[in-house]
Amino acid sequence: MAIGTAVKQTAAFAARNIKLYFKDKGMFITSLISPLILLGLYILFLDGVLKDSFEAVVKGFDVKLAPELMNGFIASFEVSSLIAVSSVTVAFTANMAMVDDRVRGVRNDLLTSPVKNSVLTLGYFIATAFVTLIICLVALAAGLIYIGASGWAMSAGELFLALLDTVLCVLFGTALSSIVCGFLKSRGAMSAVSTIVSVVYGFICGAYYPVSQFASAMQNIVMCLPGTYCTALLRTHFMSGYFDKFVSAGLSTDGAGKLFDGLDGRMYFFGGEVPPWAMYIVVIGTVALLMGLFVALNVLFGKRGQKR
Amino acid sequence: MDDIIRIEHLVKRFGEITAVNDITFSVRRGEFFAFLGVNGAGKSTTISMLCGALARDGGSITVDGTDTEKAPDRIKRMLGVVFQNSTLDKALSVRDNLKSRAALYGIFGREFEKRYGELDELLSLKELEKRAVGKLSGGQRRRADIARALIHSPRILILDEPTTGLDPATRKTVWNVIDKLRAARDMTVFLTTHYMEEAADADDVVIIDSGKIVAHGSPVELKNLYTGDFISFYGGDELEQKLETLGKPLQKIAGGCRIEVSDTAEATRLISSFPELFTDYEVSKGKMDDVFLTVTGKRTGD
Repeated sequence: MAIGTAVKQTAAFAARNIKLYFKDKGMFITSLISPLILLGLYILFLDGVLKDSFEAVVKGFDVKLAPELMNGFIASFEVSSLIAVSSVTVAFTANMAMVDDRVRGVRNDLLTSPVKNSVLTLGYFIATAFVTLIICLVALAAGLIYIGASGWAMSAGELFLALLDTVLCVLFGTALSSIVCGFLKSRGAMSAVSTIVSVVYGFICGAYYPVSQFASAMQNIVMCLPGTYCTALLRTHFMSGYFDKFVSAGLSTDGAGKLFDGLDGRMYFFGGEVPPWAMYIVVIGTVALLMGLFVALNVLFGKRGQKR
Repeated sequence: MDDIIRIEHLVKRFGEITAVNDITFSVRRGEFFAFLGVNGAGKSTTISMLCGALARDGGSITVDGTDTEKAPDRIKRMLGVVFQNSTLDKALSVRDNLKSRAALYGIFGREFEKRYGELDELLSLKELEKRAVGKLSGGQRRRADIARALIHSPRILILDEPTTGLDPATRKTVWNVIDKLRAARDMTVFLTTHYMEEAADADDVVIIDSGKIVAHGSPVELKNLYTGDFISFYGGDELEQKLETLGKPLQKIAGGCRIEVSDTAEATRLISSFPELFTDYEVSKGKMDDVFLTVTGKRTGD
């Protein structure tokens, strides 16, 4: 089969999956408002606690910081958390098309055609990544408005890198969900997994609560998980602009560092600070590894499926 | 007519269970072939192997002279399958469904439009094209399913219990479409069904039970082999009493009774011997249901 035909087939199949997602109004709207609900919950329940601990740290340095610095810094923490969680939870929902095709017997229909298994696999992957990216970009836009209203400190470069981080997080979520969903054979299993992921992932990637506040053993465990580095990248680029602003406002670098460490503005692996380039290596390496695993599983199970 | 499908000594095992046990038959080009059996008899397994979705454990399947495992893509282009349950995307329109499925065969753009136009002539798709498949009636959805199966102009149409669960009127509509298609395209149709009367019009019938072929022939041949003729009598209250003189077991039917006779000659003999009983009657052959019951010991739907 010509490569051109395979590309067109993949695009057509991905378009079909994307259409299916957006035609399901219930799923689309739920996915869209879930991140916004999460942002609302952060503001309602965590905002006060985070501001109290921020003020407690600042008090120790006998400096008065402008409220928009504190508000913007905390808003950046919340929005980075939101994107980190949504990029994975939305990907699991978006992958419903793959599970649904298996449950409804559509997969058998697709396989009566001479299409390559790789075309279908890639079609699901692209559609999931696209849908997740759209939802995350909407959440990001809402988050940036919220940060802007609270107190902006991001440079254009940091904003660009935050966008790049969002794309990487989406690829990470898509690859992870594609592997897990590849084993699911019922809608019940899918919704059970989605529920577990929604509840657990936010904690183990350090999004719901700063890793720095965990017990030290737990910190080390969480720092061994690649999802934490997705959150860490987002935190770095959303929050780093505030460091200079804190220092300019009269806070010592130690003081600014303490504030950063308290909300995971800097991350440590067994005591050593993890630089952004190392975070990129971990995240990009993990995405590549997961995508490779996803392809390998599809090749393996595609061949085995024939022999069953 | 030459054979378009040849299945020889086909075997498929799932662990200890032999789902398909050394079956051999062929389907001639352009014929209407019926493959009958209860659930679990091995029909779907055979179809899955024919479509290349399942590997076989023994024997061979050739479609138009090509082994299905040697050139699966070529075989897939020759087959169109209508599954028991619609596999089209309910949320998408009929046209979008067909477009996405056509792409799997490498059919895009103008080629798709041409093909879509041909199918529209045959199946009147224009009236359905913008409607979501989930909002179609049972018969309309089946039309869309058939259009999907035909989108790549296959030589063989496989109908896997296409009318199961449909009401009689919708079943009739579906069969009108299939009959029209056969007349227009001279297409080979491979049918599996639970409804025995649907197989009565087939050119050739294979009945499979527990993975083995238990009967093979045309409907008339099977009826002659496995059922007798029936004489149905219609009349008033004293009919049963009068018919006892024939010395045959009576089966009650609506408005009368019927008896089974070995063949038409016996029916003629009875008419000559007891003319006074034959005032309102009909002689008919057994039905495919009777054939199925005789050869499998099971009623359809068991």
